[in-house]
Amino acid sequence: MSKLSEKFENGLLLVAEKVDENKYLTSVKNTFTVFMPFIIVGSFAVLFKSLISSPTTGLAKWLPGAAKLAPAFTAINTATLGIMTIPIIFLIAMYLAKFNKVPEYISGIVAVAAYISVVPSVVTVTIDKATGTAAGVPTAALGAQGLFVGMILSILVVQLFTGLTKIKRLKINMPASVPAGIATSFNTLLPILITLTVTAVIGGLFFNATGSYLNEWVYKAMQAPLEVIFQSPAGIIAIVIISQLFWFLGIHGGLVISPIRNPLIAAAIAANIAAVSAGGVATQAVTYGFWLNFIVAGGAGMILSLIIAIFIFSKREDHRMMAKIGLFPSLFGISEPIVFGLPLVLNPTFAIPFIFNSAISCGIALFATKIGFMANNTVDTPFGTPVILGAFIGHAWQGVVVQIICITVCVFTWMPFVLISNKQVKAVAVKE
Amino acid sequence: MRIMLACALGMSTSLVVSKMIEAAKAQGKDDYKIWAVDESEVKLQLGEFDVLLLGPQVRHIQRKIKKIVGEDFPMDIIESVSYGTCNGAAVLKQAENLLGVK
Repeated sequence: MSKLSEKFENGLLLVAEKVDENKYLTSVKNTFTVFMPFIIVGSFAVLFKSLISSPTTGLAKWLPGAAKLAPAFTAINTATLGIMTIPIIFLIAMYLAKFNKVPEYISGIVAVAAYISVVPSVVTVTIDKATGTAAGVPTAALGAQGLFVGMILSILVVQLFTGLTKIKRLKINMPASVPAGIATSFNTLLPILITLTVTAVIGGLFFNATGSYLNEWVYKAMQAPLEVIFQSPAGIIAIVIISQLFWFLGIHGGLVISPIRNPLIAAAIAANIAAVSAGGVATQAVTYGFWLNFIVAGGAGMILSLIIAIFIFSKREDHRMMAKIGLFPSLFGISEPIVFGLPLVLNPTFAIPFIFNSAISCGIALFATKIGFMANNTVDTPFGTPVILGAFIGHAWQGVVVQIICITVCVFTWMPFVLISNKQVKAVAVKE
Repeated sequence: MRIMLACALGMSTSLVVSKMIEAAKAQGKDDYKIWAVDESEVKLQLGEFDVLLLGPQVRHIQRKIKKIVGEDFPMDIIESVSYGTCNGAAVLKQAENLLGVK
């Protein structure tokens, strides 16, 4: 391998290592891994609503009593996606506290309390055209719109809390006969008090100076623009290519980019569900379901397409053998057998399609949503849902059509490279 | 002999695990325990395994895992072609070589 590509490889390897070692990014990554089932359950509640309690598309059409279940399904959605900022804050704080070696549960609660201390404690209500305020935390602060301010605040609060708990003078000295548990709870008393005072005062000052709450401001100034970039074709395609570059080196690309990607796909599905529940149209294309169905269908790099291309066009016994081993895992989105067995890792023959096919497929699916053929999804499926079925659950029959188009197009983008790999064998055989 | 494999979610590695168990059985090594975990669980499993193998797709965390595992237990990255081809016998051999078992 040339010196330049070696440098490039080592550089990317180092980036992957740094991302993994960064305690903030790792806390965020672990948090979303833990929370992912709740996001999927929340989105499934929406599916049940339309299949069971909807009087137009569901069971309630024939069985009117089923409509009574609608509030229950809405409640599931509210309890998971609708308030997701709170558990996310709690989990990030806990993971970070683990790194910092300070009490985990207390840190989690401190972070949630600190967040509540900076968000509004009143909501604006309009009744009979008269506007007034009532006590309550606005849903915008609890749901996906609070994610970024919550994540940032959670990290800052745990760092502050950690610093304070390490100051000896803030510890309340207890006689040795006092049980350790009680001593811990007294020792955290002053750090908690100071932490919450700092956040509440800063939150209050911020509101007085700017007229908007901290969470509203961070959403407008940071989260909303990031969402726009992430949802734009250029943004998402750049992220997909970066992820594939890691895969090309044999590093799990999805894992490396997940600290950035996962908060944004969580916000996207929540926004879609909120829009549809309010009678509107889902506007966010790139969700977890979209990622699984149209970016990594059959495994990152559109591996199912490669397997099909090998079955149709390849005469190489070693490749056909590998395609047989890789087919079944690939139907469930697992690409590793092909990636390492063929191999695709650091294989210059297949580098171009391996790095760019997911981006091409992503572009096709974005186009399909842009022209209105495929609706944005409100139901996410978990990793491991087989191809076609996953597309159908998330994006209906139109999703299946688009997924088949994506896989087919990528069969043809893999094809020339499969043919080249066949010629290479012949060339070697002739030389010998 | 207790062999633990670790990768991103423990999913693709479990494919290799089932092939390794098959290979061990075929060789009459019924007392082998072979299983896969998520890489974040390695710390919790310390002392449960004799040898640790990492999936090649998480080779960037080798240094971090090495720090956790220390010098007491041998570890290595699974040779990537035997990983991809799910060659249970070859991965099993790699684990045995690490421990100096014949």
